[in-house]
Amino acid sequence: MFALIKREIQDHIVYFIGAAAFSAVFIIISVSLVHQYDPKEPPVFSIGLGVPAATIVIFGICAMGATQMYLDRTRKISALLSTLAVSRNRILLTRVITGILVILILFVPLTITAGILVRLFSPPIPVFTGMVFEISVTAFLMAFAIYCIGLQTGWNSSALTPSLGALFLTCIFIPLILIKGFGAHIVVILVLFIAASLIRTWHTFMKTSL
Amino acid sequence: MDENVIKVENLVKYFDGRCVLDGISLNVPRGCIYGLLGRNGSGKTTIIRILLGLEPPTRGRTFLLDTESTELSAKVHGRIGYVAEGHNLIQNYRVGRLIKLCKDLSLQWNDEFFNHLIETFRLPTDRRVKELSIGMRAQLNLSLAMAIDPELLIFDDPTLGLDTVARRQFLELAIELIAQQGRTILFCSHILGDVERIADKIGILAAGKLVVDCPLEELKERVKKLRVIFPESAPSNLYLTEIINQQVRDREMVITVANWNKQKQTVLETFKPSSCTEMPMSLEDIFIECTKPKQKSIES
Repeated sequence: MFALIKREIQDHIVYFIGAAAFSAVFIIISVSLVHQYDPKEPPVFSIGLGVPAATIVIFGICAMGATQMYLDRTRKISALLSTLAVSRNRILLTRVITGILVILILFVPLTITAGILVRLFSPPIPVFTGMVFEISVTAFLMAFAIYCIGLQTGWNSSALTPSLGALFLTCIFIPLILIKGFGAHIVVILVLFIAASLIRTWHTFMKTSL
Repeated sequence: MDENVIKVENLVKYFDGRCVLDGISLNVPRGCIYGLLGRNGSGKTTIIRILLGLEPPTRGRTFLLDTESTELSAKVHGRIGYVAEGHNLIQNYRVGRLIKLCKDLSLQWNDEFFNHLIETFRLPTDRRVKELSIGMRAQLNLSLAMAIDPELLIFDDPTLGLDTVARRQFLELAIELIAQQGRTILFCSHILGDVERIADKIGILAAGKLVVDCPLEELKERVKKLRVIFPESAPSNLYLTEIINQQVRDREMVITVANWNKQKQTVLETFKPSSCTEMPMSLEDIFIECTKPKQKSIES
């Protein structure tokens, strides 16, 4: 198992470095923004920074899932691995674990920083700490859902189904977040989407020829 | 525990509506070297891929080491060595890294034997797999398959791309391996001389069917090629069953018959031929006769 995880990390090291670098840059920018925060000025710079940052994260995470599966398909990696003492279940499991590791590398430092900044610069009301937790959990689950879409995109020669999945996710979540904000309802929907996505990926991966 | 290490039961496989395997059934007992022969596209690789669980069957069931191929666990895979046609190795890895990966993922690893093979084949461990020649890739794949001390070895055209010396080394290695008790080998090759040298049992695939499935010696014994000269022109029909091939030219008739026996000889003698001589047949001759259109089954 560890040998498989090590192989996945070595093969996709660029995503680990990218996630760590992105996280570090974003922490630096967040700290400097909070430090120079002026409540009289509208947060144009923050919004201007947030949109491209979110886009990079979405594309990066989706690309990782897609690359993992696409390279496997084209280089016939699973075809070799599954003739060794490894089952297909284990190959997919280690792949997903690696994806989760990248997402954690990206979000855990950001969450810790956000938690510290909230404690230092906002009024000592528990609602702020709760908000950081809710946003972090939602962001992690959204990133994981996007990663699952990437896995499916990389394994299918047709990108139609994953694209429809991505469209569905966007159509549901953007209005939901705008109307109701972050909370348990979003977490439930995301968990269901992730479960459905993973089951579909697992089923396709188990049944197709390698 | 079943005595048959490989079992194939009524296997059918369709690719895009085209039937590649049409009701194949075969058994390979423990300790046997089974040579599976067939022309290009006859379905040899497909059978192996289905056996290893890399390809789902359309119908039928296959078993390796008492486990159904669709449910092969990591533990069972760890007891099987596989050399794939075209040598499916991770091309962008360095040889050393690939070796380490395979070693880490194996249940057991015979370092001494593996190093002996690497030295024999003079494989460079610092080069990328894609930089190796086809022959070197074949040797690497072979060494990796052998290093896990497998109970069952599956070779899909393993000597493809090897020079004469390396091919000889490989065959000697295979013979050495079979000498170790309980080891079974399923061997597919286009080089029939190789198969003839090492196989105990032969299977020949033609048009999606297993037309031959019997021990090599028995096959040679049972398939006869006869040159028959008749006093006048040769009859159009000899009323013999299981004629694999028949060529007629004036008074001369050359026939290849499966399951040759006294009864068939008596039937032939009723036509009062002037002479009847047996033509010696190598495995290659039998293979060519059997894979021509209109073949009959020769099963033990």
